Amino acid sequence: MSHNVHARAEQLMDAWRVEGISAAEREWLDGHLEECARCRARAQANEGALQRLRSLSIRESPGLVEATQARVHLRARELNENQVRLRALWISCGLSWILGVASAPLVWRAFEWAGHHAALPNVIWEAGFVLWWLWPAGAVAALLAWKRQRAGSVDDYTNLPR
Amino acid sequence: MNAVEQDAGTVARGLRRRDPTLIDYLIQQYQYRLLRYLLMLTGSRAEAEDLFQETWMRVLEKGHQYKKRWKFETWLFTIGRHLAIDFLRRRQPQSLDALLQPVGSSRSLELEDTASSSAFEQASQGEEAASVATALAHLPPSCREVLTLRFHEDMALEEIARIVDSPLSTVKSRLYRGLEELRNLLEGIGA
Repeated sequence: MSHNVHARAEQLMDAWRVEGISAAEREWLDGHLEECARCRARAQANEGALQRLRSLSIRESPGLVEATQARVHLRARELNENQVRLRALWISCGLSWILGVASAPLVWRAFEWAGHHAALPNVIWEAGFVLWWLWPAGAVAALLAWKRQRAGSVDDYTNLPR
Repeated sequence: MNAVEQDAGTVARGLRRRDPTLIDYLIQQYQYRLLRYLLMLTGSRAEAEDLFQETWMRVLEKGHQYKKRWKFETWLFTIGRHLAIDFLRRRQPQSLDALLQPVGSSRSLELEDTASSSAFEQASQGEEAASVATALAHLPPSCREVLTLRFHEDMALEEIARIVDSPLSTVKSRLYRGLEELRNLLEGIGA
């Protein structure tokens, strides 16, 4: 029997377990194993190694499940409380925006009056008005960005490829 | 909870709501498989237990990202694997390569010392299991990982490739190599 035949048999034995082989290849392999004691021994060694691997059992860790469940419950409560706080923040942002829009004409007039009273150029008190209007949104955006950064960069791998 | 087993949509909805009852059930359901996978990956029971807890915390925190078209265990094992890599990177920067490189890594050498290899042996039950555990401790972690996913978890090659984030050809070559080395090591131990 040529060396190539044994090499093919060995290749098919491994491929059978790793990725599967066709029916024709299986038939050829079975035929070869009937005739060749060396390859049969190798097939048995393969089978034995796999059986031993599959039969490997690990000792369970006492209390691990309970401890994990307790941690998860605690964290779930924290996350829910954070969510309530975040919702309150969004509501106050919305209210603040509505109030800001409603009061904008009055504030504009107040800035205009103060600017003229202090003899400032128009561009200064106009810029002051814009800053006054923007700072709450800027503060909230900074707060949210900070919270997002603190959450870390763990999102990537909790998304599987499509 | 039979509905959970049948319906990935139920899991996705429950995770989005951070339903503690569902997560309790999932922890119970996957405790053995996840711990075994993490143990195979790290070679250390203490690390595997820490990572086990962290994985479930991450499931809780990022549950809204789980899609019902994904197999839950694939998603779960992917999270566990990345946490293990992050953990090893923090502990010892060179360990990331050591974990992923199939050839002669320091991680597998580390398993050869008494303290590390006994982690496997302590984790397993019986003499037969101890000899398999000793053989596994001598395998590169990347081979151990694919062997456990293929032959303990009975996962398809494509699923394994997704979890280990490697091409199919890499997964196959690690499996071939892992099987061959395992067979040789077991023959050596048995001799």
